[in-house]
Amino acid sequence: MRSGFPIFLGYLPVGLAYGILAAQHGFTWWEAVAASGAAISGAGQFVALSTAAASGSLVAALVASGIVNLRYVLFSATLSPHVRRIRALPMAWLGFTVTDESFAVNMAEIKRGTATPLTMAGVGAIAWVGWVLGTLVGALGAGRIGDASRFGVDFAMPAMYAALFVALAQNRRHVICGVGAAAIALGLYACSRVGLAIPQHWFIVIAAPVAATLAVLVFKPSGRDLTGEDAP
Amino acid sequence: MTVLSRGLITGLIIGMCLVNYGLRIVPLSVLSRVQLPQAVMRWLDYIPVAVMGALFATEVAIPALQAAATPAGASGHIALWLNPGIYGALAAMLAFRLSRSFIGSTLAGVAVFALLQWLLAI
Repeated sequence: MRSGFPIFLGYLPVGLAYGILAAQHGFTWWEAVAASGAAISGAGQFVALSTAAASGSLVAALVASGIVNLRYVLFSATLSPHVRRIRALPMAWLGFTVTDESFAVNMAEIKRGTATPLTMAGVGAIAWVGWVLGTLVGALGAGRIGDASRFGVDFAMPAMYAALFVALAQNRRHVICGVGAAAIALGLYACSRVGLAIPQHWFIVIAAPVAATLAVLVFKPSGRDLTGEDAP
Repeated sequence: MTVLSRGLITGLIIGMCLVNYGLRIVPLSVLSRVQLPQAVMRWLDYIPVAVMGALFATEVAIPALQAAATPAGASGHIALWLNPGIYGALAAMLAFRLSRSFIGSTLAGVAVFALLQWLLAI
């Protein structure tokens, strides 16, 4: 459970950035805290916010963030064989707090044999508190901090995506698929430059599933696919 | 910065909760009972990295291309090879490769980005 503490430290600044951004988009401090406390979804919340601001459409914002967070399906599916004996209430909390980082820490403890329902719930709780506390401070301080962009705060998420790319690219096939998805998104951008306008908030929604489907079709199945132990 | 309507904000808070909780709890509770087809598991395995690749394109590469396409001399013009976002992202990737720390690599990316942005403004 103590291994959840780095997550707390990591979520504070990113939660802070979200709090500032939400406040600048018209959220009150308690609305920003409610949004973070109810969703606990870093990248998904940023994407929803920018999609809502760009399109004014709630459905587009929810679809975009749902696509970004499709990876939670994989995380939960990967965790599921290990939580068969956990009762309904701890299971409900565990599901609520699945994030990239809590998933990574919990899987590491499961493999080490040190995970219990209590430690897994604790990791989730630490992550939740860090994320919500960061959001609270950011939303309350937004006015005083002023134009936060000069501190590079708005680059926190792109920087985390770049780090997550490296973390999630466990083998050569993953790298090719990720680069392919980026290329498809750039291709869609090129289309919109020559007149075939596709709204930019749909790029991720289109590029990621297409690249994943191509990867499944092109790469032959191997038993090592899901373990990520394929030599890079 | 666009200010969202009260209705949109309320919809986001409730909708994000339902969407995100659904994505997490449905697979967790259902799949602890059944086995997914291998092809679906393989597709899901590629989704995370594909999303990050597409996010890199929309959050770093496309803004960099747009800044480079702005006529030289106009405000907002940044040559591609000087773009702070590209170096910030590379710094974050390198830092993660070396440290395996999300905190450290996020901060490294932000630091490089902010430094270059400041140098360009001088």
